[in-house]
Amino acid sequence: MLRYGKGDAGAFEALYRRHRLPLYRFLLRQVGNAESAEELFQDLWMRVVNSRGRYEVRAKFTSWVYAIAHNRLMDFYRANGRASFVSHEESESVLEDLPAGEIAADLRLDRKRAVERLLAALGELPDAQREAFLLQQESELSIEEIAAATEVSPETAKSRLRYAVAKLRASLGKKS
Amino acid sequence: MIERRDDELSRIYRDAEGPRPPQRVDDNILAASQRVAGARRRHAGFRFARRWGTPVALAATVLVTFTLALMVFERESGLDAMAPEAPRTDRQAKVLPAEPRADQPGTPSPLVLRPIAPAPPISQVLQRDPVGQGPGGSTVSRGGLGTGQPAFAPEVPRAPDALRKREEAKPAPAAAAPAASERASVERQPPAQSAPELRQQAPQATAPPAAGAGGLLESASTVRSAGGFASPLAVSEAKERTPEKWLEDIRKLRTEGKTTEVERELAEFRKRYPDYILPEDLR
Repeated sequence: MLRYGKGDAGAFEALYRRHRLPLYRFLLRQVGNAESAEELFQDLWMRVVNSRGRYEVRAKFTSWVYAIAHNRLMDFYRANGRASFVSHEESESVLEDLPAGEIAADLRLDRKRAVERLLAALGELPDAQREAFLLQQESELSIEEIAAATEVSPETAKSRLRYAVAKLRASLGKKS
Repeated sequence: MIERRDDELSRIYRDAEGPRPPQRVDDNILAASQRVAGARRRHAGFRFARRWGTPVALAATVLVTFTLALMVFERESGLDAMAPEAPRTDRQAKVLPAEPRADQPGTPSPLVLRPIAPAPPISQVLQRDPVGQGPGGSTVSRGGLGTGQPAFAPEVPRAPDALRKREEAKPAPAAAAPAASERASVERQPPAQSAPELRQQAPQATAPPAAGAGGLLESASTVRSAGGFASPLAVSEAKERTPEKWLEDIRKLRTEGKTTEVERELAEFRKRYPDYILPEDLR
């Protein structure tokens, strides 16, 4: 990004090629439709382009760009009147009721169905938990980095991730 | 506090077919990034210009000013070196002293006069070059044309040649112009005429008898305006020595009985004014 800030267009292209698919998947699975995802994706990268002169190395580029993605998602949710992010306390009370399930044996054999079930369950997760799960899967950020990108404490981020995983496993453990 | 990833869930998630952003979105983003990077490179150029533009402009201004000043100085020095050798007749013609009044001959003009050589008495001048004997026949014209005659050179501010020539092309300013009666003929004269030409023209200009007393005066001013030099003293003398005055003097000589002198004077008068019709008593 610093090289791009000095006018090296090739450096930006390298960054873009490395992060475009995970970022796009992250956004698409968060907003649920391709049109909005494309809009957010393009807007996100234009912000990156326009920030070239102000960019400072404070964290990994990945953390920085996913933080921008998180902020864009917040704007999107607000603009669409979507009551999102369940608080930590609320999630915790829900967690008590969740069974710690095993993935069903038939789904272990049928990968295609398992994927469908997982993606469906992912769509039903609260936004904050889904975001935590997707950030972990797509960006490969640590809990601390996820917490920084989503502007919450590491405990909250960890808790969200645990709830997300538990719910997903539960959905995969049910008999279809 | 690193949460272990659920490998089984991760494997299932990775099996999902990865959606991709459309090609046009990729193209838009990359084009925008390249555009901005190009602009940034241009900005670097502007930054360079902004940083060095002012010092370079100042240096150029100083250099040009210095060069011009040096040129002007050299030209001035060149004029100074040439001044004693070449009479600056053309320059003198532009800044003429005010017309001397007939009642106060030799009254110095308001312009400062700088003596070039000690002026001998006017009688001596007339003896050396009597009226009508020189090619121009005029003491006025001979006195100022670099003949070594006593003269006064007006103190004139020097100017570069180019400027001087430009000034010559323009009509003389009203203050420096001759009197209204003479001005018309003076201004008709081409300013760049040489002195010998003017000497030849001077008697013709004064010749018509109808001009009367104004003839000689006119010739004096014509010569002066055309680049010849005339001191106020010489001009006043020329004014005094009008044909009528001259004839009056001859009459006086005759009444005194100086016949030879009368004849000599008359001969000189005829030479000087060949077209002048003499009065009955002097024929």
